[in-house]
Amino acid sequence: MIEAKAVNFAYHRGEPVINDISCKVENGEFVALLGHNGSGKTTLSRLFMALLHPRSGEVLVDGVNIENLEPADLAHQVGYVFQNPDLQILEDTVFAEVAYGPRCKKKSETAVKEQVDAALEAMGLSDLADAYPRTLSFGQKRRLGVAAALALSPQTLILDEITNGQDEQEKNNMMAYLERLNQEKGITIILITHDMNIAREYARRAIVLQNGDLVFDGTTADLYDGKRELSEWGLSQPIIATLSARFSVEGQTAAEFCEKLHLKEGAIG
Amino acid sequence: MNETAIRFENFYYGYINGNVVLHNVNVDIGKGSFTVISGPSGAGKTTLCKAMVGIIPYYYGGRYAGNVEVLGETTKGKRVSDLSMRVGLMLDDYESQLVSLTAGEEVAFGLLNHGFAPNEVEARTKQALADVGLPGRENYQLDELSGGQRQRLLLASVLAVHPEVLVLDEPVSAMDPDGAHALYKLLYKIYQEYQMTVVVVEHNINFLLPYATNMVVMNKGKVAAQGTFEQAAAMAYEVPELRPNLPELWQIKLNLEKRFNIKLGAWRKAEDAIKELQGKFVGGELR
Amino acid sequence: MKITAFTQLITVLAVTAWVFLLPVPVVATILVLELALLLYIKHDRLTMAAIGALTVFTGMMILLQLLFGSPLRVSLAGGLRMFVMTTAFLCLLAATKIQDIAQALVEKFHLPCEYAFMLTTALRFVPDFLTDSATTLDAQSCRGYSNRGNIFKRLYSYLAVVKPLVMRAVAKSDTLALSMELKGFGANTYQNMCPQKLGIVDYVVLLIVIVLSTYPLWSKYL
Repeated sequence: MIEAKAVNFAYHRGEPVINDISCKVENGEFVALLGHNGSGKTTLSRLFMALLHPRSGEVLVDGVNIENLEPADLAHQVGYVFQNPDLQILEDTVFAEVAYGPRCKKKSETAVKEQVDAALEAMGLSDLADAYPRTLSFGQKRRLGVAAALALSPQTLILDEITNGQDEQEKNNMMAYLERLNQEKGITIILITHDMNIAREYARRAIVLQNGDLVFDGTTADLYDGKRELSEWGLSQPIIATLSARFSVEGQTAAEFCEKLHLKEGAIG
Repeated sequence: MNETAIRFENFYYGYINGNVVLHNVNVDIGKGSFTVISGPSGAGKTTLCKAMVGIIPYYYGGRYAGNVEVLGETTKGKRVSDLSMRVGLMLDDYESQLVSLTAGEEVAFGLLNHGFAPNEVEARTKQALADVGLPGRENYQLDELSGGQRQRLLLASVLAVHPEVLVLDEPVSAMDPDGAHALYKLLYKIYQEYQMTVVVVEHNINFLLPYATNMVVMNKGKVAAQGTFEQAAAMAYEVPELRPNLPELWQIKLNLEKRFNIKLGAWRKAEDAIKELQGKFVGGELR
Repeated sequence: MKITAFTQLITVLAVTAWVFLLPVPVVATILVLELALLLYIKHDRLTMAAIGALTVFTGMMILLQLLFGSPLRVSLAGGLRMFVMTTAFLCLLAATKIQDIAQALVEKFHLPCEYAFMLTTALRFVPDFLTDSATTLDAQSCRGYSNRGNIFKRLYSYLAVVKPLVMRAVAKSDTLALSMELKGFGANTYQNMCPQKLGIVDYVVLLIVIVLSTYPLWSKYL
């Protein structure tokens, strides 16, 4: 459980980036953290991970104030996955790469093996355990980054733009794994993303930031009902959501939407 | 578009220590077109881009067959730096393509290397920076520019040599949607103003829907569809694994056209689609 | 008062020779002049930090020489010489743009263009690598790598995370090399730049340098 209480933050002597934000993410939730470029969503996620510390207010992880902690202290509770997997690959095999975390924490080799095998299985990388990480495709490397965070068995995963730059199949593939983690293992997912379609399809809750302020905290169904003017917050309404609202039908994908349409009487054939 | 800007004839390519990544590619990119190259990851799109400037196969080496022609001439035997005067290439790791310390020096670099006189270099630098929306920034250090500005700087340095063709490989993969829209809008403006031929590799075709005249869809190293945007989209729609990469509006359009045996408009904007759909369809559960 | 990079380079090289040719009091005077010049050109935190680091390093060098049995006078003279030489380079870097230095090295010293361009490239990519290294450390931190502990432990752990940076550097340098090729980098690059012409001030400075450098020859006539 991660909670922010009246958190304020600014970089060095700069402009405030987070203004008095309070929100709470319970265990098992699937939250999309949204906002325009510079809205503060990445900063907020870093505050959750003790990569940054607030100027005022508190950040609590499982009820404990993390102001004196560093990210390594939280790694068992919260996993943070960065956007660029190339910047963290250290080892020569996928197995060793995922084992980095547990080994840093001085676990016994049996415990390490157990945790790594579980993490690889959860992200569909078991077959690649002996592969050299740099020969993996980009999508596989991204999943490797998630597996590496999972190896320490955190309750919560924070993912920064994890589907950016990938094609549709890879995006859906990654999201399917995350959905499985959330539904089968109860892992809390906090997804920072620009992709409205992904947020709409997979997340159940959305937190929207704008210029450092929290402007929306509610269900994705509510956010993407197709009637809100999301452009006010620097976001765009997913086209399927708009169309579904106009025709008063429900449809997550293009195909589902089309199924619900019928030709009007007298329409040109 | 009668003339061809870039032509691939029965082109095969395999990297030195790797598999064959392009199989019997036959592509015709018309002069003055705005062509999107799309397809799943690993389809060979980046390799195709690099072949347009002769990097493949001549700079990297490797096995190849067939021919690549740029503006009527084969790329064989040509220096990569000479070809890049006519075909400007922007790779997706744009940071590593910026080599100088200030904006002015970056734009001037290619020009100086090709022997342009200093006053010509100055004039072209000024023009190129103005064209991309960075007027008067010659003396700006690179770290004074944001990510989006750096990318526009790269575009300026590519434009300064006045190429006839622009090739961009996933230019917006690291950007937020607003930044992506802004870059493509700028690109389209330059395309129209200088009557260039533009080739863009892009996963998210939604960004290019207002601009694309033609499309080439690659899949596993082969050309799966090619032609005007309408033609290529229709061809790609027939292949289930390629369908998700099409813009949603067109997935809807092609789905409905097929199902109801009707013809719908070639929508480039959401408003056009909504208008036509509301005129012809109603929503409701299947009876 | 514009002095070309060429003149500055010659002066720096001359200073390097002078520390061995001229008597210690003169060398000490040169040091004072250099520090005054350096602080006049640039007195920001980075410069002060550089001077500070140099002082510490010189001190260590003197101690080392003493440990190996050199007499005090010799050790101090050795330390002074090193200090003067390195401060001369600091002045050079503070006074001139690296691009001009690179150009002078190619034009007048006939350094191959690739080596000269490495100077500019280094400066171009150092900020990028600093940012990348910060991100890498953050990422490893999130996986349990702790930044606490004494300085040696931290340095040792830091070495372990340097690998991704090195790999990234190698990948980037590939793209960079390709880029340079695309832009036609070669001998032409420096040839076609505006040549740095020597002015009156340059000739005056060069004259002073020649006079001071030939000190052993005419000093006996004083």
